[in-house]
Amino acid sequence: MRVALTPALVTALLLAVAFRCVVDTAGPKFRSDDPLAREPDSQDAAGVKESDIGLVYNLGYNLFVTASRRPEHVRALNVNTIDEVPDSSWFTNRIGAKPLTAADIVRQSTPGPPPASEKWTVIREKSAGFAPGFTARDAKGETWFISFDPPSNPEGATGAMIIASKIFWALGYNQVETFLTTIDRRTLQIDPEATVRRPSGARTPMTQADLDEVFERAARGSDGLYRAAAGRLLSGRVVGAFRYRGTRSDDPNDIVPHEHRRELRALRVFGAWTNLTDMKAGNTLDTVVKRDDRAVVVHYLQDVGSTFGMGANAPHDWDEGWEYLYEGDTTKKRLLSMGFSRSPWQTAHYDEHPAIGRFEAESFDPLTWKPRVPTAAFIEMRDDDAFWAARRVMAFDDATIRGLVEVAAFSDPAAAAQLTATLIARRDKIGRAYLTRINPIVDPVLDDEGTLMFANAAVRTRVATAPASYRAAWFTFDNATGSTSALGETRSSLESMKTPAPLPTTPGAFVKIEIAAVGAPHQSWNRPLHVYFERQQTGWKLIGVERMPEKA
Amino acid sequence: MAVAVVAMATPVFAQPSAQTREADIIAAQKAKAGELKPYEVGRVEAWVDNLEDAMLSGRANWHPFFESAYAGGGFTLGAGYLHHVSSYNTVDVRGSITPSGYKRIEAEFLAPRLFNRHGVLSVIGGWREATRVGFYGFGTDTSVDDRANYSFTQPYAQAVLNVRPTRGYLVLTGGFEVSQWNQDAGGGSAPSVDEVYTPTTLPGLGANPTYLHPQAAVALDWRTAPGYTRTGGYLAVTGHHFGDTDDQFSFQRVDYDIIQHIPVMRDTWVVSLRGRVETTFVDEGHTIPFFMLPALGGGSTLRGFSSWRFRDRHSLLLSAEWRVLVNRFLDTAVFYDAGKVTSHTSDLDLTDLKTDYGFGFRFHGPIATPLRIEFAKSNEGLQLVFSAKAPF
Repeated sequence: MRVALTPALVTALLLAVAFRCVVDTAGPKFRSDDPLAREPDSQDAAGVKESDIGLVYNLGYNLFVTASRRPEHVRALNVNTIDEVPDSSWFTNRIGAKPLTAADIVRQSTPGPPPASEKWTVIREKSAGFAPGFTARDAKGETWFISFDPPSNPEGATGAMIIASKIFWALGYNQVETFLTTIDRRTLQIDPEATVRRPSGARTPMTQADLDEVFERAARGSDGLYRAAAGRLLSGRVVGAFRYRGTRSDDPNDIVPHEHRRELRALRVFGAWTNLTDMKAGNTLDTVVKRDDRAVVVHYLQDVGSTFGMGANAPHDWDEGWEYLYEGDTTKKRLLSMGFSRSPWQTAHYDEHPAIGRFEAESFDPLTWKPRVPTAAFIEMRDDDAFWAARRVMAFDDATIRGLVEVAAFSDPAAAAQLTATLIARRDKIGRAYLTRINPIVDPVLDDEGTLMFANAAVRTRVATAPASYRAAWFTFDNATGSTSALGETRSSLESMKTPAPLPTTPGAFVKIEIAAVGAPHQSWNRPLHVYFERQQTGWKLIGVERMPEKA
Repeated sequence: MAVAVVAMATPVFAQPSAQTREADIIAAQKAKAGELKPYEVGRVEAWVDNLEDAMLSGRANWHPFFESAYAGGGFTLGAGYLHHVSSYNTVDVRGSITPSGYKRIEAEFLAPRLFNRHGVLSVIGGWREATRVGFYGFGTDTSVDDRANYSFTQPYAQAVLNVRPTRGYLVLTGGFEVSQWNQDAGGGSAPSVDEVYTPTTLPGLGANPTYLHPQAAVALDWRTAPGYTRTGGYLAVTGHHFGDTDDQFSFQRVDYDIIQHIPVMRDTWVVSLRGRVETTFVDEGHTIPFFMLPALGGGSTLRGFSSWRFRDRHSLLLSAEWRVLVNRFLDTAVFYDAGKVTSHTSDLDLTDLKTDYGFGFRFHGPIATPLRIEFAKSNEGLQLVFSAKAPF
């Protein structure tokens, strides 16, 4: 097969070498620090300058250029040798990597104190997003970004914001600390220095009339108070949003093209689960913070509020989650058929609750779900990225989901029940869709007696039935040359099997095992998973997992 | 093979070695640290960003203006310069011209947030000229071959205040206009009205009335936006008094409007219905100049007929559209219009209606329809409609 040496492929291969030795080179396949647990930020990023990403250009580019992008089909470039994502300034392994209850997630995602809501002082207008709100200082002088619910959907936007921020924190993303709070208009003050940018472009002092305008667009509770989501001001210097493609050219540590970062590709799955339809660059944020002796850029998904069935000011539009804002093929079909070319969103059934909006599971299809506008990372997602993401989604058990929904404090228990049930049902659909598309063997362990144990992620989460048996081909592996020598083959109907021959005992020795299912309910399970173990003084250490080829 | 090529070109990776994975990444980051540069904005991106920034910052002064001096002028080109005179209030000086010589120049002062954002005041002063406006006779039983043309110039000044007292559906409108109509001979291929009619046979021929025109309206408007909506409706009654300062051509006109948009299958389609009646009442001893009579025909009324095709004392217009959501920016529509003009209100019934049908495209945003292209067919032929606003 002839492979075209495109610039993109060159970049991909270069970075693959940096992150893991998966190509046949003169050097060893595995390094002494594999699998990498943390992606270093070695260089000082103090010189990163603030830059804006234009909303209109970004929207147009993604709708008309990115949407027609052909995926490169390369493995994510920031995964380590065991096909996991190391911790980084983008991502932290949380749910799925360690046990987390809903209470753990709530506590750890909001380590600071909640806002002191006895008194609020408005210091600025809201600078981003369409939800009604402003920037304010609480009674203790801490700065918060305040956003309200639209009158049509009390508890809807704030509920989505508060739950989604916890979910995305648990999934590993940097999140703004967000709390539910209340604001009493009677005690609200305007800072004398507060200004508002007028349509003329002039900044003039903020007035009570400006606040009237905000509160007219906000849902007022029966107690006269306004329920709000309060996001804590991020530490560090804000330097703008990040793109879902390329790298930040002024950040020395940003060397992996964003479309090839697995955690950004995986937003296709996480977005589908939570219906995060608004993935524009404007909903991300980079800040420069001091870490150790240098400045580094920390990357946030700062606004995950357009989730479940709610947008900032109203329920999602009917086609949100189903179609991009513009699609050439769909346009052609509707044009020629005068609208009789049907789309699933036209018939999906919604139990539309004001606090939830349009969010359903019955017609939901994870494989066809779409945000409003595609991103390059969305296009580049492969099955191994989706598998990785789906495992994290499945790590949210029913109790955790229920517990996170409770954080929204919906006044109507039916709303909470509906959202919980929908999230659970969509989670299971995610599992069925993505845990079955590739070989789902996970967590391989090789003990001192030479017994290989593993799990089947699809079977464990009950989204598929177990195969009749498993087959494993065993090899010794020369890390320097990449050559292998067969040890034999074993089969078992269980998720464990014994080595067919004595394994090397010398520290530094490697074995490679190719594990596949036999008689599996899904053809894709027959393709073997390659796992590598290194012999260490204390036993066998998992050092390599190859779920799909480098370029597929 | 690919890696070998790369390895030669990029020293950092030239020697995949036994060094640690972290060391390789650090080396790559160190190499990038020597080549840092700010994000390079392409020309298109810079242009779009500048435009976006100008719009948001109030710096976008120049704008296109596609409103013709008078219906029937044809494809219109124009521009305006909008300047903020305060945080929200603007003055817009604009003008347009058409190939047939229709011209318009005007200045508008707009105060969009009066009375604590309950009121919008528009004050306009301007001048316009229409060179070949069609007149086909009175009533609907006229022939398209009877066309005669007239022209006019008109200086005008008007102030209109719209108030939403509850910020809800109720809209109250009051306005006052002073204008002078200078009707004259028409240009174009059709004969001029003064060649076909006399002042006796055509009231107002050659007249130059100056009108003081107060108006008042009460309306219920529950559309999402007048410029583009997929749901809601509009009910309005508007009363006009046209007072001729020379006391010859004074009259009153009352307009009744009803619009309803009915979304079907989650906005896949919208059935849009409109009814409009215009009735006039003449002061004793006065007549209504022919060019001030209610009229039908053209891109916003009976679309399959020429502009101003039918004129008389009263008019009835009914339109039905089946609008199709093609995507977020484009709708198509099949439409049917019916209407008549009559000399008596008792004749405003559903008999002998002039009808047309057609198909069109509407390029729109969430609140506006900047381009509407329609093909409309009637018994008098096919009409092509270009417009910068929604039909209703």
